[in-house]
Amino acid sequence: MSRKPDIQTMLWMYKHMVLSRRYEEALAEAYLEGKQPLFNMANGPLPGEMHLSNGQEPCAVGVCAHLLDHDVVTATHRPHHIAIAKGVNLRAMTAEIFGKQTGLAGGRGGHMHLIDPAVNFACTGIVGEGLAPAAGAALARKMRGEDGIAVAFIGEGAANQGAFHETLNLAAVWNLPFVCVIEDNSYGISVPKGAATSVLHNDVRAASYGIRGYHVEGNDPLRIYEVAGEAIERARAGKGPSLIEIETYRLAGHFMGDAESYRPAGEKDALFARDPIPKFRQELVDAGAASSDDLLWIEEDAKSCVAELIDFAKAEAYAPVQEALEKVFV
Amino acid sequence: MMAAEKKRIRKLTIAKAMSEAIDQAMTSNPDVFVMGEDVGKLGGVFGTTTGLFDKYGPDRVRDTPISETGFIGAAAGAAVMGMRPVVELMFIDFFGVCMDVIYNFAAKNSYFSGGRQAVPMVLMTSAGGGYSDGGQHSQCLYTTFAHLPGLKVVMPSNAYDAKGMMTAAINDDNPVIFIFHKSLQGMGWLGTAKGAIVDVPETVYEVPLGKANISREGSDITVVGFGNTVHHALDAARDLALEGISAEVVDLRSLAPLDRETVLASVRKTGRLLAVDDDHLSYGWTGEVIASVAEAGIALKCPARRIAYPDVPVPFARPMEQFLLPNAEKVKAAVLSLMNSVVSV
Amino acid sequence: MQIKIEDDFWQGDDEAVITAWLVDDGAEVAEGDVVAEMMLAKVQMEIEAPCSGVIHIEMEAEVPLKKGMVIATIDQ
Ligand SMILES: Cc1ncc(C[n+]2csc(CCOP(=O)(O)OP(=O)(O)O)c2C)c(N)n1
Ligand SMILES: [Mg+2]
Repeated sequence: MSRKPDIQTMLWMYKHMVLSRRYEEALAEAYLEGKQPLFNMANGPLPGEMHLSNGQEPCAVGVCAHLLDHDVVTATHRPHHIAIAKGVNLRAMTAEIFGKQTGLAGGRGGHMHLIDPAVNFACTGIVGEGLAPAAGAALARKMRGEDGIAVAFIGEGAANQGAFHETLNLAAVWNLPFVCVIEDNSYGISVPKGAATSVLHNDVRAASYGIRGYHVEGNDPLRIYEVAGEAIERARAGKGPSLIEIETYRLAGHFMGDAESYRPAGEKDALFARDPIPKFRQELVDAGAASSDDLLWIEEDAKSCVAELIDFAKAEAYAPVQEALEKVFV
Repeated sequence: MMAAEKKRIRKLTIAKAMSEAIDQAMTSNPDVFVMGEDVGKLGGVFGTTTGLFDKYGPDRVRDTPISETGFIGAAAGAAVMGMRPVVELMFIDFFGVCMDVIYNFAAKNSYFSGGRQAVPMVLMTSAGGGYSDGGQHSQCLYTTFAHLPGLKVVMPSNAYDAKGMMTAAINDDNPVIFIFHKSLQGMGWLGTAKGAIVDVPETVYEVPLGKANISREGSDITVVGFGNTVHHALDAARDLALEGISAEVVDLRSLAPLDRETVLASVRKTGRLLAVDDDHLSYGWTGEVIASVAEAGIALKCPARRIAYPDVPVPFARPMEQFLLPNAEKVKAAVLSLMNSVVSV
Repeated sequence: MQIKIEDDFWQGDDEAVITAWLVDDGAEVAEGDVVAEMMLAKVQMEIEAPCSGVIHIEMEAEVPLKKGMVIATIDQ
């Protein structure tokens, strides 16, 4: 049932991986403005916590390549790569991350609270919170006989929340068009997976709920694409929910400002040596899917797109402060 | 040599003061242990367990899975067996995933056992915004806990109180919600109100839970604060003194039990009352304090007033959040307007 | 005796910041006392008194610090 992406899809995947990376690099730069030498989280144009997803781009593109606008995605405190791959309006998203009036929520949400109803994307700052609402979205689609499935992205740490187990059981009992995607980046903040999780791989937990479990190694966008394709096709066909755990890694700290002293020496260097973007690039060239020049064009395009987004968001105005009192109810 | 007898002055941040109190309790009582997310090697995201992992090891300083229902429930269960767990909920905002065991189990176990079974646990948790961390990492939510019988709910405004109250909380046979305010914690990356970093004795001592503190004496108006708003009140009081207004600042330190006596005594003296909270306004403790004064029949020289966070979630954008938060200027302005107003008859 | 930001305190030319003084100007300190907390980029560090005596603070908290700067002196 599983199949490989065609060339066009592969280029779409590469493009969105690169876009996400450039995007987060630009955010990181803006984030540090006003925070040196004293790193005070309250300062600069991008205050508050900032969780970057660089290194995890393959998970977002490999899954979202199969999704349409009407498919529902919930993501986490580390949402940018998924939002980008799901097609969230990037101008409104960037303005929101900078807290501006033209942002998705007029500046009320911020980077952990990006909601774009047009493409059925939402994320949350509470670990595990997105799971059950995603299952509920799948339930709504099913009850109304509508097209569309739901995918909940979580980190491997969230698989130890009660909500994870309750939601999988529920989705299984009701045979919902639901897929849970675990991005296993080895850590929940400073705590390594092995110190917090009773099983080596979370996909085995699917057996407890009588659903399909998949494990994808190597942070490989093509493998992720194939496995996600199978799970999503099953969901669309009414064959029930699946659980996918993807081995990935975060190249940055948990949040910006994380000293990462919990990492073993040399770990970061080893991770950067396995950076999925140059690796995928080489694969595309080797497979004859694209020439190096074609890819260069994609990369330049991503750069200028990001520059435009950041300039735009920075130039936008903050909402009048009284607007903080609005929209508590619709 | 005299030097040894001389009292050495030593200041600590609240983070270090909490760590020291827990450390001393762990040394003297093997039943005291710590658990929570990232409390091990990392020493707690907010520095509450600094140095404890190296000293006591992973058995007594336990990094947990992200399973608050599980590990906070386990803390309560261990407490029933006579252990004295200090368990961390990283942000108070996260209580939603584990509340049942807090208010239906820990808070009620004494009652349901006819007072025969204690739950001597401390739940420490961070609160407060002001640094643009968005609406799920900036809430206060104090009164949500204070509303529920069976929980002691406390928050220090400075490191001296933090150490003494943590020691008292660990020694208390009841579940204590020990809140610490992120604006006072002493983490370099958060910025800290200067007044929170104060002299802390190295000896073991308790600051009794449920006792308010007069942080500054005054005669014209009583300004009641809790945690960070105590510092807003103190800053405003210093300013107001220059204008000839003498404000008395009461630091509640505890919402449950609430030290009504100290507040009432102060208001009887000053005849004016302003209560300042950074938690949501409606059904907050400011209303409880004012109601207590009203019920005591104290005649005020002007209407009581409260400043609190409006009944909206915490917005991310800095200008919006700062607009909603209480601060020293708002306290000062309210005091000035109260000093110029009278009760109409 | 001076408390100086020594060259080997950290690598590179980054600036650091004292986030909090843990003693008052003019206070009595003992050798090894933690007198200040400092932050370099993301890492929080402690500064200890190199000797006992009365400390005089030269650099306030939150001011950028470069290597070689004297942040306090201690009269022994
Ligand atoms: C209920 C809850 N508990 C704790 C936290 C604090 N927290 C935020 S992210 C995080 C780690 C999450 O780890 P994981 O699920 O593996 O996602 P990752 O950060 O690795 O992407 C923690 C503990 C939270 N936001 N919500
Ligand atoms: Mg993780």
